[in-house]
Amino acid sequence: MTSLKRSYASSTTPSTTLSSKTYLRTLRSGKVQKVVRELYLRQDIPCSSQLCSTCIDLAPAGFHGKQDPPVLSATPAGTTQYPQGHYLVPDTNAFLTAMDLFEAEDAARDVIVLQTVLEEVKNRSLPLYHRLIALTKNEGKRFYVFFNDFRLETYVTREAGESINDRNDRAVRKACSWYGSHLQDAVKARQSARCPAVVMLSDDRENLRKAKEDGLIASGLQDYVSGLPDADRLLDMVAASRDQRATRDEKAKMVYPEYMSMSAMLTGVKAGSLHQGTFSVSPYNYLEGTVHVPAFDRPLIIQGRENSNRAVSGDIVVLEVLPKDQWKAPSSKVIEEDDLTKNENAENEDESAEGVVTEKERRALQEEVKRAHGKVAEGKPQPTAKVVGVIKRNWRQYVGHVDKDSVRSEAKQSRAQQTVFLIPMDKRIPKIKVRTRQAGDLLGKRVLVTIDSWDRDSRYPVGHFIRSLGELETKGAETEALLLEWDVQYRPFPKSVLDCLPAEGHDWKVPADTADPGWKGRRDLRDLLVCSIDPPGCVDIDDALHAKLLPNGNFEVGVHIADVSHFVKPNNAMDKEASLRGTTVYLVDKRIDMLPMLLGTDLCSLKPYVERYAFSVLWELDQNADIVNATFTKSVIRSREAFSYERAQLRIDDQSQQDELTQGMRHLMMLSKKLRAKRMAAGALNLASPEVRIEAESETSDPVDVKTKQLLDTNQLVEEFMLLANISVAGKNYSAFPQTALLRRHAAPPKTNFEELANQLKVKKNLELRSDSSKALADSLDTCTDPSDPFFNTLVRILATRCMMSAEYFCSGTQAYPEFRHYGLASEIYTHFTSPIRRYADLEAHRQLAAAIDYEPLDASLQSKSKLEAVCKNINVRHRNAQMAGRASVEYYVGQALKGRVLTEDGFVMRIFSNGFVVFVPRFGIEGLIRLRDLGGGKEVESVFDAEEYSLSFGERKVELFEKLKVRIEDEAEEGTGKRKIKLSLV
Amino acid sequence: MPREADPSNNEREFVLSALRENVRLDGRAFDQFRDVDLAFGEEYGAADVRIGKTRVMVKISAEVVTPYADRKFDGIFTISTELSPIASPAFEVGRQDQTEILLSRLLEKTIRRSGALDTESLCIIAGQKCFHIRADVHVLDYDGNIADASCLALVAALMHFRRPDVEVHGEDVTVFGLREREPIKLQMQHQPFCITTSYFDGGEVMLHDASLLEEQCREGEVIISINRFGEVCQISKYGGPPIDGLSILTCTNMALEKAKMLDKVVKAKLEEDEKKRDKGGLMAELRADNEREQG
Amino acid sequence: MPLDSSTYALAHLRVDGRRWKELRRIHGQMSTQAAADGSSYFEMGNTKIICTVLGPRQPTKSGGRDQSREAIIEVEIGVAGFSGMDRKKRSRNDKRTQEMQYTISSAFASTVFTSQYPHSTITIVLHVLSQDGALLAACINAATLALIDAGVPMQDYIAACTTGSTASYASNDEDADPLLDLNGMEELELPFLTMGTSGGEDKVNVLVMETRIQMPRLEAMVSVGLDGCKQVRNILDGIVREHGKKLLSSR
Repeated sequence: MTSLKRSYASSTTPSTTLSSKTYLRTLRSGKVQKVVRELYLRQDIPCSSQLCSTCIDLAPAGFHGKQDPPVLSATPAGTTQYPQGHYLVPDTNAFLTAMDLFEAEDAARDVIVLQTVLEEVKNRSLPLYHRLIALTKNEGKRFYVFFNDFRLETYVTREAGESINDRNDRAVRKACSWYGSHLQDAVKARQSARCPAVVMLSDDRENLRKAKEDGLIASGLQDYVSGLPDADRLLDMVAASRDQRATRDEKAKMVYPEYMSMSAMLTGVKAGSLHQGTFSVSPYNYLEGTVHVPAFDRPLIIQGRENSNRAVSGDIVVLEVLPKDQWKAPSSKVIEEDDLTKNENAENEDESAEGVVTEKERRALQEEVKRAHGKVAEGKPQPTAKVVGVIKRNWRQYVGHVDKDSVRSEAKQSRAQQTVFLIPMDKRIPKIKVRTRQAGDLLGKRVLVTIDSWDRDSRYPVGHFIRSLGELETKGAETEALLLEWDVQYRPFPKSVLDCLPAEGHDWKVPADTADPGWKGRRDLRDLLVCSIDPPGCVDIDDALHAKLLPNGNFEVGVHIADVSHFVKPNNAMDKEASLRGTTVYLVDKRIDMLPMLLGTDLCSLKPYVERYAFSVLWELDQNADIVNATFTKSVIRSREAFSYERAQLRIDDQSQQDELTQGMRHLMMLSKKLRAKRMAAGALNLASPEVRIEAESETSDPVDVKTKQLLDTNQLVEEFMLLANISVAGKNYSAFPQTALLRRHAAPPKTNFEELANQLKVKKNLELRSDSSKALADSLDTCTDPSDPFFNTLVRILATRCMMSAEYFCSGTQAYPEFRHYGLASEIYTHFTSPIRRYADLEAHRQLAAAIDYEPLDASLQSKSKLEAVCKNINVRHRNAQMAGRASVEYYVGQALKGRVLTEDGFVMRIFSNGFVVFVPRFGIEGLIRLRDLGGGKEVESVFDAEEYSLSFGERKVELFEKLKVRIEDEAEEGTGKRKIKLSLV
Repeated sequence: MPREADPSNNEREFVLSALRENVRLDGRAFDQFRDVDLAFGEEYGAADVRIGKTRVMVKISAEVVTPYADRKFDGIFTISTELSPIASPAFEVGRQDQTEILLSRLLEKTIRRSGALDTESLCIIAGQKCFHIRADVHVLDYDGNIADASCLALVAALMHFRRPDVEVHGEDVTVFGLREREPIKLQMQHQPFCITTSYFDGGEVMLHDASLLEEQCREGEVIISINRFGEVCQISKYGGPPIDGLSILTCTNMALEKAKMLDKVVKAKLEEDEKKRDKGGLMAELRADNEREQG
Repeated sequence: MPLDSSTYALAHLRVDGRRWKELRRIHGQMSTQAAADGSSYFEMGNTKIICTVLGPRQPTKSGGRDQSREAIIEVEIGVAGFSGMDRKKRSRNDKRTQEMQYTISSAFASTVFTSQYPHSTITIVLHVLSQDGALLAACINAATLALIDAGVPMQDYIAACTTGSTASYASNDEDADPLLDLNGMEELELPFLTMGTSGGEDKVNVLVMETRIQMPRLEAMVSVGLDGCKQVRNILDGIVREHGKKLLSSR
């Protein structure tokens, strides 16, 4: 048998020499692979200096015959140290520590980036690698990548016992020395005198020493920079970036603490040594979370990645309270994840030297602590805890976008899996590591992901990509994104719902024959002069009203509500779907219906001029608007007119209109004012939340302007009677079903909620806010005025609203009667009855009321406390989500309306942090954070934060809480969330 | 092993000499397809394709399974092909023959490797639950050109199919029945079609959609998979007499035209099917997101 | 992790230091296994193949009364467990392997004068010792050498190589360079095709592509491929002549 010995002679191309490279690679799975690769060492890689004439024709052209011109200047800039001009050859650490320096417009030109260095940079930090690549494409900077490991003369094999770092350092030195002699030859050939120095930049002492030994020109970063003009400014860049990496070399493999076992947690919670609650992360500081637990009146604080131990906002966690000496004050600083972690690598996290808690994050929090110890007022230490386990994950699907910098290869073809970071739109959610093959396709898209797991040794949770919603910032994608983000069911109704709709479809009519079963138990109210008053363009009309003067001087007032329960029978497919959706969601330009359109906008809707089934509440009210008696009945009505608030107001005010319908409306107006006065006297709160309206161009429906919503008397008219109806129905339902009535309560806020606001008002304005009862609060809110500024009162009301609890649906059997109270409305009992088309709670109330008046028997599901509780829980969540989605939609549209505009508006300081402050702009109903860093053009500004005085001084400026100031409003596509956001800045 | 009867020498000569005079036995132009008919079944994901007498049926099904350990973030997509005696006496039950292997590789490369179906979107919880989409390709009648027919049927079926909706909350998964919630379309990244060009006389004569007889007489074939954007997903010229490099490029250009044609057929049929399913326009009533008039 | 193909644009250098139109080192030997009728050993970079040819001989399969008027070419490919980066056993019935076998068999069926050996079988056995890209191409080249060694009459060599393209299918990068002879790492990242030529100028015998690519890019790839095949053919020719010389001189 012939031997299979290799014939090295038969190399294919004469200019190359074959070498091979063998290395070991550890895979994610822990498996070790041995990789053998060929290397073709060549001599036709140019030095790319314009000085050199031999290299010019060296490099063969590509397929298209294009040849790259030499990059490095023939006359590079000189410095005091290198007056003859110089080329820089930085090592890996130089790039890692001082990328800012290299990016500076006026420094560091003519740089040779060695292949060895480039590879190392890529391994250490992808984002920095991308920045470096961008530099090589910047023609003015003249960065040239020299493939030293492919050039025969500069190739270095790793010697036995040599560490990979040492080998790379040696490769850098070798390349420097080759460049040095190569240039000398080139200069000689040109017979010119000036030969630029090849300067190796490194901070590694050993490397520098060896370079000197070899007779190379080498310099430390600092020394080099000091020789440059404008050294002070540039030195700052080096120094700033250097101490960020102080402990980089310590290989601290840290993992998150292990969770306790479920049984240990349950026992602990039972025994009171542990606490259970829902984890929520501060929107301003991603490293701080709070949990409300019954045992403490103030929320427990959880600070830092290690203490929050893999809990994600929304999870139900078990906590252990830390010893008192470790208690902290709530953070007064804005910390954003993106600022601290943007240079991390998604791919090989374990290769980075740091543990779960990065040095940067630790420092960010430490500064915090220092401050907390110094000042006492706001910074009173609060109970602080750490997460020891998670009872229930509340992970959902998250909308976000792929972090551009974490993508290794943007090639769309590449089928190789990469790990990339997904940055969720919701700032409280940490970055998610996602493995995907479609990284290239997903860039610049809104995508949907879920979290799959979060292991102890992974700094970030791991998830997977579900689908792309479309390009960032397109209306479709952004709308879908916010619907998903707030878990709004926007998909079509399932087909089974079709079977639940009346077969007649849009042709359905109230039967003409009153003997029809539909008429059974209904009162014929068709002769009443009923009308509806709604926002303009409303198509799902829930309610209509009428009033007439009775012979005895009292008034008959009727509130007629769409009879949805006639069409939606309990427990059929449509009912199930509606109970799941819980509410109709109103976005600026869209309505996500709870019920199919056929019902919502046609058959149920109390449209004018047609007969409709209704559920009516009829009162006899006396001149003082006190209730003489109330009756509830199913009915048939015919609305005479559908007014908008504005038109109704005009009609009432127009004294030439004397017809009966208008008279009725005037009665309603008169009565509503009395009702309102009574309610206010009882201590109902008049709270404010900023509401704006988007003006859109009628054709394109592109938003063009933002207006604050105007409130008319007719708004209050409708509101008062709806409240009255709700209260009456609540009483009726409760008396009929004391255990299972579906009611709505608004708990009195705990005193501590108002402490901060009261203190702020006291310190800044010397005003007193009392919160012992809703009446006291209402009265003291009226006194919180600033004569010089009418808006101040509204601002206080907005802030007060945020201190409140949120109202909730509940089942009467689960609370004691005193707990039924609706704090904001100052009513003993309350429910929702008046909008069954768009709220599921109202539909349930209808069913209960129908049973209470013996119209029809009550479905079993409405008699079961546990089932009702489940319904309440769901609709409470849906209700909240719907509000949030609505707000997010407004926010998006405000952003679109302001797109490309720069405006200056009045703003008010709402909240002060140690490194920024929040400003509210009433004109657009927006609030935005102004960070000191943005004011200082990217750098932290020297500032003094006084937590006691609620003020922040920086430079000449001092910003105080509640201060009115001018801000500039621009729109900006936010890097972090990919959202187009309003950016505020001080004028 | 039973074989398709080879055509006699006379028959072969007849076909070839006709072709040399630019005539196909069934009177078609060289690049003309036989009538392409596509029908969808009652259920989602059943497609029935007829090209002339060749008939292929594809059925897609989905189930929830555990993903492969080494592909935690992907769902599973498998294509199985079956050539049974139903199609032709040449095919035996239970025995994989050359044609079947080549066909399944072809579909594999065209649809799976080219990433036509996004398998990442089939993942429910990484490493624990994912969808397994299974495509069963049955050749019911064999009169040549089963590659093109199978591929067309497969793409159409995938586009027609809807998988059940799922909801993940924390670590719980709910799979909804087809009536409970509108099922979800599969995420198709692109729709590639297979176009086979048969050649005779060293590439002098090129035919599309060869019938069985023409296939038996041909020298060789070039199978190209391409989508309507002109992205070639696969080319197979397994041996056979050599042809010009240039004519392969010509083949690709012609294939693009045909792929656009097939793409239109599928789109039109899908639309038709959609309409049929929308009983009397009631589907519009089921829309939940509706324009809101702005005030 | 070393750099990947995305750095190509920086200096027109590939991951292993080659330029776009350079083949890897190719090495071939003939008559390596004395026991076989014909044999060869072939390397394209780190892809290493041993090929043996048996026959033409009587069909070995029992009972098969072969009526054919032409020789049948059987191909068996065995992939050694240690050939890849991971030790993995690939079964003979793997569809991908079967497809390769079919491709090689039908490629040679039209090049070998099969009609000279009715009722007989030529068996080509390929052992893959090491894989680093261009597997099919290396198999074809190895088989060509082994068939010549076995003295089977053929019209021409079949010379094969792979070509790829630097840019992916969707980015409309007009500067995309076609690449010749991809190694294993490049094959994972870039679109590529395998091409085999025989029978004179620009005649394509085998063309297999499995990755997605934009149509306009094909043209450059095919033309570079044809050029590459010509280079491979010359190398094969050199090997055969060298071997012939050795044979003659040893006589």
